[in-house]
Amino acid sequence: MITTKLPDIRTDFPLLCQTSGDLAPIAYLDNAATTQKPQVVIDAMHHFYLHNNANVHRGVYGLAVAATQAYEAVRDKVCRFLNAADRREIVFTKGTTESINLVAQSLGDEVLKPGDEVLITAMEHHSNLIPWQMLCKRIGARLRVIPMDDRGALKLENLSDLLNDRTRILAMVHISNSLGTINPVKKIIQKAREKGILVLVDGAQSVAHLPVDVQDLDCDFFVCSGHKLFGPTGVGVLYGKKSWLERMQPYQYGGEMIKTVSFERSEFADLPHKFEAGTPNIAGVVGLGAAIDYIETIGRPAICYYLANLAEYALHQLREIDGLTIVGNAPSRSCIFSFTMEGIHPHDVATILDQQGVAVRAGHHCTEPVMDFFGIPGTIRASFALYNIKDEVDRLVAGLREAQHIFS
Amino acid sequence: MSELSNLYQQTILRHNKSPYHYGRPETSDVVLEAYNPLCGDKYKIYLDVVEDRIDKAYFFGYGCAISKASTSVLVQRLEGKKLSAILELCQHFLESLVRENADIAEDEELAAFSAARQFPGRLKCASLSWDSLIEYLEISEE
Repeated sequence: MITTKLPDIRTDFPLLCQTSGDLAPIAYLDNAATTQKPQVVIDAMHHFYLHNNANVHRGVYGLAVAATQAYEAVRDKVCRFLNAADRREIVFTKGTTESINLVAQSLGDEVLKPGDEVLITAMEHHSNLIPWQMLCKRIGARLRVIPMDDRGALKLENLSDLLNDRTRILAMVHISNSLGTINPVKKIIQKAREKGILVLVDGAQSVAHLPVDVQDLDCDFFVCSGHKLFGPTGVGVLYGKKSWLERMQPYQYGGEMIKTVSFERSEFADLPHKFEAGTPNIAGVVGLGAAIDYIETIGRPAICYYLANLAEYALHQLREIDGLTIVGNAPSRSCIFSFTMEGIHPHDVATILDQQGVAVRAGHHCTEPVMDFFGIPGTIRASFALYNIKDEVDRLVAGLREAQHIFS
Repeated sequence: MSELSNLYQQTILRHNKSPYHYGRPETSDVVLEAYNPLCGDKYKIYLDVVEDRIDKAYFFGYGCAISKASTSVLVQRLEGKKLSAILELCQHFLESLVRENADIAEDEELAAFSAARQFPGRLKCASLSWDSLIEYLEISEE
């Protein structure tokens, strides 16, 4: 029942219903880059600017109070959505990248000393690699990498060596944006915890697809973006355990994040405002709240079930194409598919697909080390979300065959 | 599909499949790099320059059909030509990617890339190696 019900929600997404002339609506298969927005999200932001717009945490007038309430209500919502223990553990940022940079910069000096180690995985997005690389460089620490096998699954046999007495921080991706691998983060976190190692989970790709419970995962930090969650761009979340957030230095300084200020010294605000300097993306946060409501109305277990079925169908159809090689064949995988086509560059494939109304991504997907590992400059990536349907898989396959025909 | 077959027409597909002087010579006077960090396309262009003329030209690297074919037709047009004439050709070619250029229209193979005008996302593929060569020629002129 679930599988037949979900496609009806396509009409909730105006962009997916747009047509031009005789052309079919776009088959949008670049959801790992960003998702489309349902009307309720667009309306929520529109409504905020029309009726509730004021700055937050400042004014005593009614409008400012309403804006603050709308903004802070979303913090409660995110807290429930991720099952955090305390609303003060939810910090609004502009996205996953900023959330990671915040942790790397504010926590790094606190816990890292020369000779210490930071551990990441072989499949990190550049945003969960470079902040740690730069931090290690600055401190004189060592960046180490959990390797993967040629299926794109992490090799965990030597994990206990990598999680050693020197390891202070483990930062790992939940679902790989370029391979689709779902990493066994809970199991790895348990191992890290035994040694008192801090863990950050990059949930940019997972939060829209899997139920996430940060207390159950027992990670110290969980980061994600609103725009991959059917919300607006420019808003993201940092979940951090209170004990750590309290110890950390502010990431940026300015208005909103202070208690008292004089020319001699300043005292910073309590959590979470200590990390939200300046006027935040208020309408964006409101939009994120509407996106979470939308997802919860459908239910993440239903989304998860639907996408697993769609992924199975897509995988089967893609494997039928001769000359197509799927990059990333981990046993546990999501609905992100990377592949190469024999004799055809990914950008040529993407252009040919585009002309048939199929939007995919081509390139290294901000994971150059992953591409180096597989010895390829890039892949074609089709990534699905809850509004995609089997017909779009078929359009993708037909487009790929057309590319083969043109290049034959 | 008409726009598309226009971009992936025979000239481009042919040069992609059998590029001109595709290889790495053991020695060369000048090695240029044409690299697009956004997509990873990367070519090395090897030039032998005798006085103010290009004597030999080769290229090697990896990229899409458009960038490979465009580098191939470029390299094919360099040998024996004066540097100043090449600079002029490059400028005409780049203009043809934006608007009609009479000089390029006469050269069927170069004109094939004008189709990229309909594909703004792919213009850089067509201009990649030409941009690098212009940069070199302009520096040489100074």
